[in-house]
Amino acid sequence: MTNMHSQKPPADRLSSKPVGAEINPAIGAMLKSAHDLLTHEHSLFRSLGLKPVLIGRGKAAFALDAPIAFAGCDGDVHGGLMTIVMDSIFGLTVFTALDEVKPIATINLRTDYINKADVGTRIICSCECIEIRNDIAHVSGRITTEEHDRLLVSGAGTFMVGVRSAKKGSRL
Amino acid sequence: MNTSPNNALAIIDARIQSAPIANWLGVSAVRDEAGLLYRLSFAEHHIGNPVIRALHGGVIAAFLEFSAQGELAAQLDKDVRLSTINFSIDYLTSSRPQDMEARVRIARLGRRVAFLEAFGWQSAPDRPVAEARICIRVGSEH
Repeated sequence: MTNMHSQKPPADRLSSKPVGAEINPAIGAMLKSAHDLLTHEHSLFRSLGLKPVLIGRGKAAFALDAPIAFAGCDGDVHGGLMTIVMDSIFGLTVFTALDEVKPIATINLRTDYINKADVGTRIICSCECIEIRNDIAHVSGRITTEEHDRLLVSGAGTFMVGVRSAKKGSRL
Repeated sequence: MNTSPNNALAIIDARIQSAPIANWLGVSAVRDEAGLLYRLSFAEHHIGNPVIRALHGGVIAAFLEFSAQGELAAQLDKDVRLSTINFSIDYLTSSRPQDMEARVRIARLGRRVAFLEAFGWQSAPDRPVAEARICIRVGSEH
């Protein structure tokens, strides 16, 4: 979490706004309605119980208590939970960096598993939108334990910004 | 090293029974002439964006990672601790709110590290929705 704050990118990134600058009001309103929908009506996000820790322009951090439903064969939290959480927060981070509401789609994701976590551990997923160029958003993030700031997952992803939704299969 | 077909399925079924996330994902496996075939049974909680009603990208990733771990466990045919080192996935086309099938290829099984590829599809195997590469540490406390 703290590492992300210390590295402020040049001001010409993210549509001329630095990370941490004020979110466009239209995007803010969208995030608010999205948050209400996701926490009350959306079954996946309700079961994750994501709690916002920080939301700024081009960055977001959410906390959750790793649910037992996502344990793997060995009883530890399965990596699948980490990719679900990271993909979700990556997408949200991209939204915070936009000047207008546009649909986005994940192009790819990569996660490195550094340490395992017990079920029930409170984890924090912190993400930053590094840059948006040519309609491609680059994001990076990490998942740590809240208590000891222990690194569990390091991740990166790219998203298509402005998805053509008319025909099936033409999302990119 | 080579696992008999029935034993491979038994190993994967045991993994599915013991992992709560497999239940959440609705994973099952069968064996056909081409090898092991994995299935994600669609459930409403797999939806990522309620507006476009596509499967959540992380759910697809979780399904392919679990399938790859199962394929490797079945191949090893012994109780070895497996820890995913890293996982990378490309989303090739949009998904729909329905079941997904997957196959896994073991690109290389070394003494300490295994490299696998998994791909998942909905309409036809030659039209994959997502392709993943998984690198797994074999047999130690990762």
